[in-house]
Amino acid sequence: MKQRVISAALAAAFLAAPVAALAQDTDLAKRVEQLAAELEKVKAELAAQRAQAAAAPAPRAEATSVPAQPAAAAPASAPMVAAASDTVFSGYGEVNYNHPVRNASGAQTDLRRAVIGIQHRFDEKTKVVAEFEWEHAIASASDRGESAIEQMYVEREFNNGLRGKAGLFLMPVGLLNQNHEPTAYYGVERNFVETAIIPTTWREAGVGLSGEFGNGFTWDTGLTTGFDLTKWDAASDEGRESPLGAIHQEGQLAKSRDLQLHGALNWRGYPGLLVGGSVFTGKAGHATTDFAANDARVTLAELHTRYTPGAWDLSALWAYGRISNTEALNATFVGKPTPVPSSFAGWYLQAAYKLWQGNEYALSPFARFESFDTARTYASQPAGLGVPTTPYERVATVGANLMVAQGVVLKADYQKFRQDKSRDRVNLGVGFSY
Amino acid sequence: MRHLKPRPAVLFLTILLSGALTACGGGGDSGSTPATSTAAAVSASFSPSAVLGEKIYNDVSLSASGRQSCATCHSPDNAHGPTNDFAVQLGGPNGDVPGFRASPSLRYMQQTPAFHFEADGTPVGGFNRDGRARTLQEQAERPFLAAHEMANVSKADVVARLQRASYAAQFRATFGDNIFDNVDQAFSRAQFALQQFENEDPRFHPFDSKYDLFLAGKAKLSDAELRGLALFNDPTKGNCAACHPSARGAGGSAPLFTDFSYDNLGVPRNMRIAATQDAAYFDLGLCGPDRTDLADRTDLCGAFKVPTLRNVATRKVFFHNGAFTNLTDVVRFYVTRDTNPERWYPVNADGTVDKFNDLPPAMRGNVNTAEVPYNRRPGMAPALNEAEIADLVQFLGTLTDGYQH
Repeated sequence: MKQRVISAALAAAFLAAPVAALAQDTDLAKRVEQLAAELEKVKAELAAQRAQAAAAPAPRAEATSVPAQPAAAAPASAPMVAAASDTVFSGYGEVNYNHPVRNASGAQTDLRRAVIGIQHRFDEKTKVVAEFEWEHAIASASDRGESAIEQMYVEREFNNGLRGKAGLFLMPVGLLNQNHEPTAYYGVERNFVETAIIPTTWREAGVGLSGEFGNGFTWDTGLTTGFDLTKWDAASDEGRESPLGAIHQEGQLAKSRDLQLHGALNWRGYPGLLVGGSVFTGKAGHATTDFAANDARVTLAELHTRYTPGAWDLSALWAYGRISNTEALNATFVGKPTPVPSSFAGWYLQAAYKLWQGNEYALSPFARFESFDTARTYASQPAGLGVPTTPYERVATVGANLMVAQGVVLKADYQKFRQDKSRDRVNLGVGFSY
Repeated sequence: MRHLKPRPAVLFLTILLSGALTACGGGGDSGSTPATSTAAAVSASFSPSAVLGEKIYNDVSLSASGRQSCATCHSPDNAHGPTNDFAVQLGGPNGDVPGFRASPSLRYMQQTPAFHFEADGTPVGGFNRDGRARTLQEQAERPFLAAHEMANVSKADVVARLQRASYAAQFRATFGDNIFDNVDQAFSRAQFALQQFENEDPRFHPFDSKYDLFLAGKAKLSDAELRGLALFNDPTKGNCAACHPSARGAGGSAPLFTDFSYDNLGVPRNMRIAATQDAAYFDLGLCGPDRTDLADRTDLCGAFKVPTLRNVATRKVFFHNGAFTNLTDVVRFYVTRDTNPERWYPVNADGTVDKFNDLPPAMRGNVNTAEVPYNRRPGMAPALNEAEIADLVQFLGTLTDGYQH
């Protein structure tokens, strides 16, 4: 029983620790991995001593935000763990309601996503991580839902502290992409900069390597699939919603003639502070026969920071993307509404404050200001044939997250748009993550 | 009538069928009049059926008049379309029987799906202007037997001529020694051979227009051509791309400038067609008279297949009835049909315009008046002005095969 409590406490305090809390320690990533390995040992002992069937309640985490690796945070007493201590199930999901204030008929409720995660540890250093996702409740030929494998990769830790991974994995970009569970962010909907400019949830297939420099620095690099510009549909508005979202490949029969390099650097050398950035670059034409933009290169760069002193949770992010050599391709699209932009960018500032915390509840109001432009510039076109660039859309969001227990969140917010005021809306949502 | 882009399944079929095209498309020497050596090199890659198909295609002895072959109305010298400006071609035993519809180009037909109705009821696909032939092989039957074309009295008549042809032995070697013993089978093999020839000969689908090179980033359109493309694509201006897609298909397939759908444009009656002397005669496309299975679908009366616009600038006559002989006038008709109908239709004694006069009055409501650029009324400005029409025609010229750098 004592060991059960220890294991549960370890799980809750470390593996289920929120990102904000994780940021408090300089060698955090390393320690988490060590603790994960220790926890596996404890679980093995527990499995051998299963004299008691009653589950001990897991202690509550101290923070409201999400575990960095929810898959590793399953309660030690969960039946699935009992059945296979090396295999951990996790999950998250959310249901959202959007109510445009100027167009009540546009009110909509959607089961945004339901995700099942399975992580299996082969040994202390080797694991496989997989996430299975359904979006919009029903996926079939006549429905608009999607079914997707969001991640599926194997990871191996080497003796020198390096970690290598191979498969389909999330890109180490921004604050949201790798921690996108509804309990991990403020507001009902994910922020615009990290959906329209950074195509969260952005995953690619390939190989990656991670490590640390000491002094609080961690790094990631890798060689993966990239974007497929031959998919661009100038007649659809998809490319205006998210240029990269319109041409990402998601590991599905991904064209791989041109690969993408990425690098990310993060620093957690000061308690409560995370500062980081990343760069991604790769060509996107794949030497396609008779394609007018085989030299097009997609580059995305971003900087991010998050600071969590006391009850505050402050974050900021800037992202900038380019698609080069699109003049000839865009000439073929003249007269159509959505040519390929040559640059797109955005930034946001966000502040949240844990106003009240009870035994099982925590209320955190927040405010976010975003500015983003999915078509900041276009490559030049002959006079009269170009499409005007769009202005930066500016969105202010105010609302609150109410955490219930540790893994459930109720959300409400109001979003005001500067350019397209018809999009002003009230949002409500419920989400969970375990 | 709504138009749909081909469904994914159709596009898939398209891509599947274009497998043969990719191997031969874009040949630089597949212009309108390939050199003999080039033609020989092309023919060398044909299957035995296609070799026969080419001979049959060019064989005038298979007609009652002895003067007409497929190539007569579908000449390789003019994008496999007619070389004269007759509204309808002449055929029959003496070569003087007029037809009923303008001969289309046979280029870029290989990817046409069989006729079917989409889930929302939109008719799509098929060969002939009314889609009644399901395949190129099936399409090849009618010209042999129609009284106004090659005018053979029966399939046996055609097979007898085949047996006398110089390539009869080759026909037997390919399809079996006893093939001529069975008229239906022998005739069917001739149709098959024609289909294979059309599929395998890259001259039927060279994809070597200026626009193809432009799509590939290997050529630049002039400013006027580019302006024309913009008008072609713009849903608020020409809106041509709504039925004649200019963008690559799924998987990067070259655009065919048709979505294989049908439309009812209310094209003016062409009194140059002999049959129109009978005031009671109307060519109603999908619902007859040539096509009979949709005769009760009066809502489809007057709808004809949306043709590819590739090589449209080589056409001497336009639309199913050849009512127009000038491409600029065709574009003018599109944009002023509803703003200035008096330009295109007879004016009645009482001063009213007999609009859509090639349809029975009860069926004139079937004409497409909803989509841009038709969605206008007298007094409104046309969707395109004269300068824009000129630009659009310039662009259409880039769709002609055999562009030389």
